[in-house]
Amino acid sequence: MQNIKTRYLSFYIISYYTGYIIVGTAFLMAIPLITSLLMGEWNPALDFVISMSVALIVGYLMMTLGRRTRKGEVQVDWKYGFIIAALSWIVLMFLSSIPYLLSGHSKSLLDGCFDVMSGFTTTGLVLTQDLDHLSTGLNMWRHILTFIGGQGMVVLALSFLGKHMGGAYKMYCGEGKDIKLVPNVKDTTRIIWKISMIYLLVGTVALWICGMFIGLKPLSALFHGLNMFESAWSTGGFAPNTQNMMYYHSFAYEIITMILFVLGSLNFGLHYAVWQGKKKELLKNIEIQSFVITSFALTAFVVLKLSQSGVYTDAVSAFRRVVYNVLSAHTTTGFGSVYAQQFAHEWGDFGILIMVIAMLIGGSACSTAGGFKGLRVGIVFKGIIADIKKILSPERNIRVEKYHHVKDYVLEDPTVKGAALIIVCYMVLFGITTLLGTFYGYPLAQSAFEAASVSGNVGLSIGVTSASMPAMMKVQYILAMYLGRLEFISVFALFGFVIGGVKKLCVKH
Amino acid sequence: MCKTLKPMMIAAVISLCFIISANAEETVSINSLVDDAETYDNQKVTVEGEAIGEVLERGDYAWVNINDGTNAIGIWMKTSDAEIIKYFGDYKHVGDTVRITGVFSRNCTEHGGDVDIHSVAIEIVKTGRAVQDEISDAKIVIAVVLLCTAALITLIYLKITKNKKQ
Repeated sequence: MQNIKTRYLSFYIISYYTGYIIVGTAFLMAIPLITSLLMGEWNPALDFVISMSVALIVGYLMMTLGRRTRKGEVQVDWKYGFIIAALSWIVLMFLSSIPYLLSGHSKSLLDGCFDVMSGFTTTGLVLTQDLDHLSTGLNMWRHILTFIGGQGMVVLALSFLGKHMGGAYKMYCGEGKDIKLVPNVKDTTRIIWKISMIYLLVGTVALWICGMFIGLKPLSALFHGLNMFESAWSTGGFAPNTQNMMYYHSFAYEIITMILFVLGSLNFGLHYAVWQGKKKELLKNIEIQSFVITSFALTAFVVLKLSQSGVYTDAVSAFRRVVYNVLSAHTTTGFGSVYAQQFAHEWGDFGILIMVIAMLIGGSACSTAGGFKGLRVGIVFKGIIADIKKILSPERNIRVEKYHHVKDYVLEDPTVKGAALIIVCYMVLFGITTLLGTFYGYPLAQSAFEAASVSGNVGLSIGVTSASMPAMMKVQYILAMYLGRLEFISVFALFGFVIGGVKKLCVKH
Repeated sequence: MCKTLKPMMIAAVISLCFIISANAEETVSINSLVDDAETYDNQKVTVEGEAIGEVLERGDYAWVNINDGTNAIGIWMKTSDAEIIKYFGDYKHVGDTVRITGVFSRNCTEHGGDVDIHSVAIEIVKTGRAVQDEISDAKIVIAVVLLCTAALITLIYLKITKNKKQ
């Protein structure tokens, strides 16, 4: 009996905590449900009642199955932390796509799952049909998904449900966040939410007021403001209408969203440090330095190229169409102020290549942004410089290289190796995804653009992503978004666990 | 024979020319405009689509976004022209279908590089309507059954964990 208990212990642990996170997300559906009821949208309200019920049933069943792990009696190993985070995302992808399917705006379950994963991973690519006629409730749900995804579902569960959370830090790390703002992980997740909620209030009010000035009705301006804030802050890229940022025809709206998505792409540790009065951190931090250098260089290249080729000749156009889109790509937001086709027809191969680089680099570690992160670029760059210096200096000299990220760290070989390894993983993922695009007949530049967009969780499209694209590509894009957001390790742990289980079963029989 | 054929051929060629020019006067899809923006840049075009969202008034002028099923674009028009549009497409409405004739810009210098159309003429082709939110009985039954099941499972879970505590 004891043997059976031990054998299934891992399943109990995974089942209990995954269930916990699902229940947390199920309660979130109350927000779009209430919105639908207030707006008199009865069909969407029922869709959310159904979806919420299904999620609660699945969540509580999983928790009941793994109830032995309650009270934190069981030690949660690192591998479980990673597996729980990775598995929760997959189960939630299916459960959260139910409102999409019931609304009739998704052509298939696969399309629904694509949009949910796009939201969770803060990518922002869309397969949902007829966005302009979406209910307020479903639009709210899309943007909540991206907002929650940006901070992390596990972070949410830990913050609000975490009474019995042994091994919380391991699950928190499994979701691609590894910074401890304060010694207690639960308090850290609460600080992350506190920061986000304060920005939510300020950002929504700013966009609401701006919305009314540009001609939106007060209630509509509020919903647009809230949705666009959630999207900008989480570097998501969803918008309530087909035209994305072009719907508003407003420079002011673009500026506010730009400020918000740049802020959202910064490390939560940096936000916390600045809030604590360490303003010098803004100048010293390696991620800020890396972001400023790459942003300036990439933007300057594209502005120069497009003004030379006569696409954008005046400064305002160059700023609103080029700077906005390059920063949107670099912060992995995906708000677009040009049409997808314009990238292909007007920006040329050089412009596309720069965008690919910007999307792959991405924002900061432990932020809402994707990509392989400025911190890793900075570390690898400093590592290369340190190696060159080492070669050029006398052998007797021992040089200690440091980098500053909230505090000073010694640049050690394992750190550089770890950063380089993740970058290599991203490049392999980008390569495979590009290859698949070309296999299905898309031009290389367009395949690479879209591959960078999904791998870096950006959301800008050059026109490849559509409901009519091959199902295999949709699956690969879902996988790329998922791997990119969880930064590989958790997903590899889940795959390893599943393969290990299957192997054991095969040996047994 | 030849005498008869010649005028007929000329007539056919002339009528063909008219057909082509008539087509140029007719509507062009928004996606075609964006795809072939360089050709259509600063040309007078006619587009037809559903007015969506809401009118964004900017003083004497206003933005109206239209969607023709292939894509959506902003139309810059006089506020007085925009006032003739009664319905804008959203969850509860099918918007008026409008035919707009205006000048297309792929990089409108007046609007910070926007891809837009400055309207010269507007016509309501089809009036929109309010959409009835019809709910099927089956959906209501499914929702009630699932809600009860979820409540039951929640209660069972809470009872089990409570007993365990005691």
